[in-house]
Amino acid sequence: MKIEINEKDGGLVATFEGRLDTPASVKAQQDIAPLLENAEKQITLDCTKLEYISSSGLRLFLTLRKETAAKGGKVVIQNINDEIKKVFMMTGFFNLFEIKNA
Amino acid sequence: MEEYGLDFHCSALLDQYRKNLDLYNKLSNVVNDKLREHIRLSGIELNAIEVRVKAEKSLVGKLERKGSKYQSINNITDIVGARIIAFYNEDVDRIASIAEKLFVIDWDNSVDKRKMHQVNSFGYNSLHYICRLSRDFYFDREHPELNTIPFELQMRTALQHVWSAIQHDIGYKSDIEAPDEYHRNLSRLAGLLELADNEFSRIRTAIADYRRHASVLVKNGKLEEVMLDGDTFKSYLELSPFSKLNQKIAAITAAELHETSFMPYLAVLKSLGMHTLSDVEQLVKTYEDDAYQLALYQLGSTDIDILSSTIGLQNLCIVYILRSGGGRQDVCNMFEHINGKSPNNELIADIIMEQATRLPFMAKGNKNEV
Repeated sequence: MKIEINEKDGGLVATFEGRLDTPASVKAQQDIAPLLENAEKQITLDCTKLEYISSSGLRLFLTLRKETAAKGGKVVIQNINDEIKKVFMMTGFFNLFEIKNA
Repeated sequence: MEEYGLDFHCSALLDQYRKNLDLYNKLSNVVNDKLREHIRLSGIELNAIEVRVKAEKSLVGKLERKGSKYQSINNITDIVGARIIAFYNEDVDRIASIAEKLFVIDWDNSVDKRKMHQVNSFGYNSLHYICRLSRDFYFDREHPELNTIPFELQMRTALQHVWSAIQHDIGYKSDIEAPDEYHRNLSRLAGLLELADNEFSRIRTAIADYRRHASVLVKNGKLEEVMLDGDTFKSYLELSPFSKLNQKIAAITAAELHETSFMPYLAVLKSLGMHTLSDVEQLVKTYEDDAYQLALYQLGSTDIDILSSTIGLQNLCIVYILRSGGGRQDVCNMFEHINGKSPNNELIADIIMEQATRLPFMAKGNKNEV
């Protein structure tokens, strides 16, 4: 699992690559620290190359959402694949995020 | 300094005003801060609040008209003035009560113009208090005189303000004598606005009564008498109506339930034809087994152990649509109510319609029992 964070248009873009499963989420928790520190900005999660998300990954996204909601920022999820969309639907979390397609 | 050709007495008053200008500005800031803070704490919604120091030219005009009646500058009580515009008559009274606690009121010079009209006359309605800062609430050792300068507080409703502003604008108060016909037209409008103010108050009270009544009905389980709306839905949610279903769904994967707002579902329930809370209750009773079956089908083969607290309600709505003979577009519409317009809703609808073909309750045939 690789997470790359870049600044763009006054916000941050985090590019996820690989599988965000439970073991990967432990490291990802540390990797997203810069996002939590900039929670007042728009944070775009580019999931074009994200293959899978586990419950731990969902928790990670929910943590980001909670933090940005508290500090006036927002999370935009970009280009999740159909399987991950299905996960968001089955868990009832779809409407919590702005989910954009390319 | 501009010269205005005032007599000696009025020029002396103007000099006093100029010397005091910094104090007036300071007083104006204190009055502004105190009023805003205490009105905010009381929860009163305001249309506007403004605090100003009388401009020099405006004071000169006043001195030219009636300067001889003022012995000292402190006899002019509106050099610092605050105007508070509320929406309801009752709020004007509440603001007055706040002012009475915050400031020392000069009752001899304060006037409730709302009560000055004869039973058969209408006109300017506003509550005017002449105040000073109370030492209990504000004292500045460097400027103790701030507690001695009077200021005027005007309190009125938005409609009273509109009438007053228009009356002022058309020069009703000017020296030109207006024909009786115009007086009568303005008075008639004042009467109309007074009636509107009373009606707005009555409507607000009636809505508050309805909310209290609906809340009691919900608590007493008389759901068939309660119309479904934002307020009543919130009251209903306090009964945790989806909790049992949620717990059952969460047990499938020993999942944690993540608290999420149910309010986006209000529009969905209404679009599904639910008019009363009893309709929603019936939805839960009739379809909770099927909603559980849907969750079991979706989650049973996964290890997802976190779910939204809306999952039970989401599945109830999906099942209701499917069991009522609804199709892809109806499911799509449901998610549009929740997520807003998005191509993702079509994808979700496709997934659900595909899953529906494998759900055991769909084999039983459609029904609509709510």
